[in-house]
Amino acid sequence: MIAGDSITVSLGGRAILQSAFVDAVPGKITVLVGRSGAGKTTLFDILVGRRRPDGGQVRWNGERVPQPSLALLARRGLFYHPDRSWLALSLTAADHFALIGRSPDGDALGVTPWLGRPVGTLSGGELRLTELALGLALAPTVALLDEPFRGLEPRHREQVAAALRLLAERGTAVLYADHDVESVRRTADRLFSMEQGATRLVEGCRERPLHEWYHAWPM
Amino acid sequence: MTGITVVWLRSRLFRSYLRRFLLLWIAGKIANAATAAFLKLPPLAFRPGTELVVCAFELAVLVAFIRRANEDILLGNIGLRLPVALAPLVLLHFALSLALSLLA
Repeated sequence: MIAGDSITVSLGGRAILQSAFVDAVPGKITVLVGRSGAGKTTLFDILVGRRRPDGGQVRWNGERVPQPSLALLARRGLFYHPDRSWLALSLTAADHFALIGRSPDGDALGVTPWLGRPVGTLSGGELRLTELALGLALAPTVALLDEPFRGLEPRHREQVAAALRLLAERGTAVLYADHDVESVRRTADRLFSMEQGATRLVEGCRERPLHEWYHAWPM
Repeated sequence: MTGITVVWLRSRLFRSYLRRFLLLWIAGKIANAATAAFLKLPPLAFRPGTELVVCAFELAVLVAFIRRANEDILLGNIGLRLPVALAPLVLLHFALSLALSLLA
């Protein structure tokens, strides 16, 4: 399980994160919500060691990770999906699966038809599904995803939501960031709301009616 | 993948880095030779200090390309740090430069 504890970051004298806390729980989908620019990506960058915080710490299974890096945490079972494409565009999807030494996991995301195509020729939705199919194939213990639904058409949104649920059902601690209320409401087991650089855990999010979601939304 | 493995060295991604690095090595060698000729030194002679500087420059350019394409995240997701993934290219640089100096 990964957690960011009391994370503080300032940029140019402005506080981006103020003692922010977020964690992921095995078998649950945890969502970090907040408006664009609230600091969600910054918090994720810190969790995977792509940025150093001014204060606070990253924990893995309760133990402090002194110098987190994506490679180090990936070896412990982390899968990270940033808010931008991260595959090698000149290689095919099959090349990527060969690189990780796995095959598409039961083809839950329907990537087989374009396995032989260079990923640079795929549509945005196909590319996202390929990235998530790699994540599924890696069988991570923690999956960290930054806006996995962004820019997707409804059909692909459904597939991504199903993939996140499949990961959670397999015991993966899923943590993703988003600001779309409908996507989050359909998938979230737990919810952290981020406002002005601080986070708070929203209790009982599954039971809340839709109007309360909109009322509590940090926009 | 925890380090340099046969899987990594045989992967198409590593081979694509190899191709780009070879082009950078050629460019670096031309620049190095031209500078040496200007200073009236043997253009293709093996000078370890100079080779180290040129190699660092070539790697810096390659790393910039990799980071720009977010491929460092791909490497990270398979547990491979950039310095580890690219370490074989340092050996390649020195091997090629040494071979060329012996042939010259």
